[in-house]
Amino acid sequence: MVFTTHLFLFYFLPTFLILYYAMPFRSRTALIAAGSYLFYGWANPFWPLLMFASSGVDYLCGLGLLRLSGLPRDGGLPPILPKDQPRSRAQRALLIGSIASNMALLAFFKYSGFAVENLNALSEILGMGTDLVPALKVALPVGISFYTFKSMSYAIDVYLGDARPMVNFVDFCCFEAFFPDLVAGPIVRYGAIEQQMRERSHTADKFARGVVFFAMGMAKKILIANPLAQVADAAFRAGGLHWYDAWYGIVGYAFQIYFDFSGYSDMAVGLALMMGFVLIRNFDSPYQAESITDFWRRWHFSLSTWLRDYLYIPLGGNRRGPVRTYVNLMLVMLIGGLWHGASWNFVIWGAIHGGMLAFERMQGKQGPSARLPGGYRVAITFGVVCLSWVFFRAETLPQAAGYLASLFGLARTTLASDAVAAAMYTPYHLVIMTTAGALVWASPGSWAFSRRITWARAGYAGVLLLLSAAFMWTQSENPFIYFQF
Amino acid sequence: MQIDRRAQILMVAIFLAVILAPGLIQAVFELRDGEWPRALDVFLRPPTAQNLHAYERSLEETSLVIKQLRPGMQYFQWRFLADAGEKAVVGRDGWLFYRPSVRYLVEGQTGAPEDDSTDPLLAIRSFRDQLGARQIRLLLVPVPDKESIYPEMLAGRAEGAGIVVCERTRLLLDRLEQSGIEYVDLFEVFRRARQQESRSDPGRLYLAQDSHWSPEGVRAATVAVARRVLDAGTIVRGNHAYTERPVTVRRQGDLVQMLRVPQIERALEPESVTCSQVIEAGEGMPYRDATDSEVLILGDSFLRIYEQDEPESAGFISHLARELGRPLTSIVNDGGASTLVRQALAGRPALLKNKRLVIWEFAEREIRFGIEGWKIVPLVRPGTTSR
Repeated sequence: MVFTTHLFLFYFLPTFLILYYAMPFRSRTALIAAGSYLFYGWANPFWPLLMFASSGVDYLCGLGLLRLSGLPRDGGLPPILPKDQPRSRAQRALLIGSIASNMALLAFFKYSGFAVENLNALSEILGMGTDLVPALKVALPVGISFYTFKSMSYAIDVYLGDARPMVNFVDFCCFEAFFPDLVAGPIVRYGAIEQQMRERSHTADKFARGVVFFAMGMAKKILIANPLAQVADAAFRAGGLHWYDAWYGIVGYAFQIYFDFSGYSDMAVGLALMMGFVLIRNFDSPYQAESITDFWRRWHFSLSTWLRDYLYIPLGGNRRGPVRTYVNLMLVMLIGGLWHGASWNFVIWGAIHGGMLAFERMQGKQGPSARLPGGYRVAITFGVVCLSWVFFRAETLPQAAGYLASLFGLARTTLASDAVAAAMYTPYHLVIMTTAGALVWASPGSWAFSRRITWARAGYAGVLLLLSAAFMWTQSENPFIYFQF
Repeated sequence: MQIDRRAQILMVAIFLAVILAPGLIQAVFELRDGEWPRALDVFLRPPTAQNLHAYERSLEETSLVIKQLRPGMQYFQWRFLADAGEKAVVGRDGWLFYRPSVRYLVEGQTGAPEDDSTDPLLAIRSFRDQLGARQIRLLLVPVPDKESIYPEMLAGRAEGAGIVVCERTRLLLDRLEQSGIEYVDLFEVFRRARQQESRSDPGRLYLAQDSHWSPEGVRAATVAVARRVLDAGTIVRGNHAYTERPVTVRRQGDLVQMLRVPQIERALEPESVTCSQVIEAGEGMPYRDATDSEVLILGDSFLRIYEQDEPESAGFISHLARELGRPLTSIVNDGGASTLVRQALAGRPALLKNKRLVIWEFAEREIRFGIEGWKIVPLVRPGTTSR
């Protein structure tokens, strides 16, 4: 199910909220779990079974870690594993089993096709034919990258002694399947939500703030991202573009992906608030970043902190000298790229960001870019991010290369290249592009806006909600970009 | 703080009203009409992906709130933002363009067909060979999209550029030639016709608010096709006499109708189109097909316009019949010239009896966006049964 559909907004959500507030607290967790499985299974009734199996493995792993610790209950609650106590071999095996099961799920559903494709390409080069391994056609379950990372965080947090194991399986299913963040994040780590699973408040303040978040997220998606998708689609599908059209197209895509993804995150945060949960912030005006390092402190926090805590730091982080730090940065971003999708385009996208992070680290705080005025630094960073988006958006490597050629005026243009203007420069698109630019560089984010709800802000959010609903009815279904990951 | 509290309550109230109202209004109206609330249909069928999607679609399609509000929003977008929605693109001077055709042009600079089922050449070659085995000649008539002939009406930047033959179309025409498949190059015909148009009054060959050609476009195409047929000598000019009579009709363009917004339909004046209706000289009746003709013509809505639509018998089929001096047999399938029209022919094998020539018309965009792609359709010999 998609948040910005008639079904979700006018049937699922009101029914869910009515039932939620009609139930006693203990039953609400079960309702969230049931609602989440329904939400997830709408597209494909097989997918909840897969998620249920994944949840089962991680839940049992948590229970196993607890039992093997031999610790007594902590005032009625399961104990947190002491950080200073060494873990037994069995406990380590359990953790590895949990991680391996999640990685196996990802490997099969997300990367097997990519691996087969590359093996066959290699075998062709070696003269062993093109069908060394038969091609696998596996449908990618929506949101699998998000929920496997979420699930892994549970086992790791419990093992490291950062969170309390969960003994109630329904609670665990609620955490794992929680529909607001299920398919496109934020990647909520177990430690951040553990306490709220047991106790959380339901207030008018929280609900109203949730509504403001939801309205702003919906407006970002419906009023801005969806129209800009037409600009980006037209640009990327055209064979050869004039350089100015190519830049306009990639800026359109940069805005589209930001408003699409941050819109989803806002809606997720808003829905969670309506149920009393406070989720983490996922964006902080990323295109105002003055460097790529800064960009990753503002873009998709939940992924970057996940990769930092569970990958970069265990790899040694910056504690093993500069060269190892650069290697670690590169490695983490390459894996981050692959997390998005099984294609060389995402690997290159990760390599660009990893390379830039290493380069900036090498430059230090006194590097030449640090002497530039802030505006220039923002513009350069945005330019680099846009160039990397080319690989993110293009469907194939040759398409990305062709688009880069267009950006630098090297593409062959034809008369049809002029016709693309009709699909990109309508008054509608120009208004939306301008508005998007103003919002990206000159407006407060949703978190600051929703902190205090005044009459004016309530009115503004109400208008956004109504406008978004009305425009939604004029658009065909347009899933969120991050659903594919 | 008190203000904040009241604002919060207002916010929540607006939200609940917005999300509850459409479902409640729908249910109330359905119950009032003695119907079972459609929202509960979900419990009546097994929860398969197909049933769930059908349920979701039906909720949207029957929603009274959507029916009431959507046209107003679309009118607003069209009137103030020059956005005609998902079906059409707003061009210059009130011209509208069919969005799939615009996509075809813009995206048609690269790319061979993705696979065999989308490769027109394989289907065309198979059809040509099957007809050849019956001693029937095939002549193709790819009809240029409006965007290719009038690109400057789509985007001002293309002013003075002339017509555009995008790479994908050019590639197909080249491959047809290499395969020895005959076709009439209407791009060249229309390019020459456009050179005679005045700069101040472009657009004689296509209609402004419709995706199809004008009567002038029909005439230019029929003359070119008839000349090609007669020059090849497969068919000689017949002696069936036809006359013509001018008829003026007021047409609401198909692009306007596709928007399904009454406010836009009211705002846009129907185009006045003067057609030339083909009349049987003896009987004084409008042209009629003959199933025993030696010529069969297959195609899409470019054959339907003026022929089956108002004023009737004034479209491509009638005019080609007049040029050839003989009635034709025809099969027309709107938007289905790539595969569906051949499937229709395969279902009526008797129509191929006595035929010496098949003319197959299809719109340029069908090269990529043909419904059902370009399937190879086996033709059954008359007298045998198909399974």
